[in-house]
Amino acid sequence: MVALRRDLAWNLRLTYYFFVVFVPSLGVDRYMFPSAGVRFSWLVAHIAALLAAYVALGFSLLASILYLVQERRLKSKHKPGEDSWWLSLDWLPPLDTLERIAHAMLEFGFPCMTVGLVIGSVLAQETVLGAGYFRDPKVIASFAMWAIYVTLLFVRRSAGLRGRRAVYLSGAVFLVMLAVLAANVFSRVHRFGPQ
Amino acid sequence: MSLVLIGVNHKTAPIEVRERIAISRDDLPETTRALAAVPGVAECMIVSTCNRVEILAAVEPDAAGLAGFLQRHFGLDPALLAPHLYEHRDQEAVRHLFRVAASLDSMVVGEPQILGQVKEAFAVAHAAGTIGGQLKHLLQSTFAAAKRVRTETEIGSNSVSIASVAVELARKIFGSLQGRTVFLVGAGKMSELAARHLVQQGAGAILVTNRTLERARRMAESFAGQVIPFEQLHDAASQADIVISSTGAPHPIFRREHGQAFLHRRRNRPMFFIDIAVPRDVDPAMGKLEGIFVYDIDDLQAVAAAHMVERSREATDAEALIAAEVERFHQRLLTVNVAPAIVALQQQAEEIRQTEMRRAQARLASLNAEQMTVVEALTRSLVNKFLHPPMQALKQAARENDAARLESLCETWSLPAGATQSTAPDDEGGEIS
Repeated sequence: MVALRRDLAWNLRLTYYFFVVFVPSLGVDRYMFPSAGVRFSWLVAHIAALLAAYVALGFSLLASILYLVQERRLKSKHKPGEDSWWLSLDWLPPLDTLERIAHAMLEFGFPCMTVGLVIGSVLAQETVLGAGYFRDPKVIASFAMWAIYVTLLFVRRSAGLRGRRAVYLSGAVFLVMLAVLAANVFSRVHRFGPQ
Repeated sequence: MSLVLIGVNHKTAPIEVRERIAISRDDLPETTRALAAVPGVAECMIVSTCNRVEILAAVEPDAAGLAGFLQRHFGLDPALLAPHLYEHRDQEAVRHLFRVAASLDSMVVGEPQILGQVKEAFAVAHAAGTIGGQLKHLLQSTFAAAKRVRTETEIGSNSVSIASVAVELARKIFGSLQGRTVFLVGAGKMSELAARHLVQQGAGAILVTNRTLERARRMAESFAGQVIPFEQLHDAASQADIVISSTGAPHPIFRREHGQAFLHRRRNRPMFFIDIAVPRDVDPAMGKLEGIFVYDIDDLQAVAAAHMVERSREATDAEALIAAEVERFHQRLLTVNVAPAIVALQQQAEEIRQTEMRRAQARLASLNAEQMTVVEALTRSLVNKFLHPPMQALKQAARENDAARLESLCETWSLPAGATQSTAPDDEGGEIS
């Protein structure tokens, strides 16, 4: 129970910091970068942090899926020699190792994603302002992704989520992440390449 | 000198015979020396394990029978031992030794101890001074062949006993067993064995429960574990990562609802139930819960049997490897035997070259140092080129073990008779492994 309360506090604190940095960035006195060079550096940081988060999330999902496969093999009392020669899965790591990888990757990806989104918000306030920002599909999807990510971390930490349900949740975050990537097509805020 | 290997093993002799001629570690040096004192025995060693007693010796053609030594040394009736003894000579002896060291002749094929035992027997014989060049060369090749089998086939990679299968499965779930808690429900022999395997792999706390508390206490003492009263079975079980159950209960003592409660208390951390009781202690329905793995005695046996099949498949590859190694050893031995003839041929040629050079010296006096070097190199090169075909022919004849051709080659090149009769060189500087 103590651990549960600590986890909750941890997640709430992160959420709080996120908005403390994010909300003022939408303020009337818009912050202007002193030079194009500085702006570009922040853009690189934004991309790097989010790419790191996406890669971590991808690895976490992969580890979760392999966990599921290994679990199935153990449950079905899989015997050596049952694999066909072209698809031997004897190399699969132990369940515990896969679980640790999946969890460590999620824990690593979360701060990366938070930092990446915060930097993105600061970058965005220079170009588009006001309530329109919140109606942008890319922005909405990004927040949804972040929110599900927080939920995923919280549920994993509190309930020791593993196996099938962990894959579903990681999969959900991953799908939203794909949606966020795809949302560029509809976004006014976010465009790859020169704007 | 020829190689002889005689002995008995678990396939040819019952335990009653093997125990009569088993040689303890302490007696081994003395027995080996006694064997070396038998007339005609030049080199020898003895391998004695619980499954085999084997004598390997390099003997003169007129040596006394080694079986006689065994009978005399152990005071046995010849009729008792003779039906169980096997004897291999030369290449067959080499093949047998290679197979033994590679664990292809073991009761459990692929078990790793036998190679160590052969190495130890060799070390004892070496210390007793009964090893010469021939056996040393043979044993070094034996260790190399055994190592090759171990690294190039997977003969020893899978567990074939119930206890080791259980450990292997536990590792697939938990990775390292360091610090994992093991709960023994029922204090039987099998569960003790499995628990011992788990502890060897680093398992941490051991909890023991039994209907008769006294037995639980005794078992807990041997593991420095903790005794749990049988009534608190279900409360304590959730602390355990691995539960080994072997009670005589007529109905399952772990049911699905227990499993759900365990998972809830453990925040879904996995549990592994090893159910070696018949009738079963763990309801199979519990194994359907996510995070709980249940293996009963049949499941464990099935995995062990599958590993056994895998091993016998690997053993076929290993046999082929051994055959190749025996052939290689044989070839090397033959080539080694022809080495003195080749050396003699080279010496002969070099002597002729130097005599001719000396004879021409006066006429070559006008040459400067550089030109002299060229002449030296030229003559050397000529000699080597001329020697190449006969040397190849000698090696070829040796490889094919063609005595008539060897003899005629030696005659043609006036090589000393018997130059090809020598045995393997005594490379005392070699490493003993």
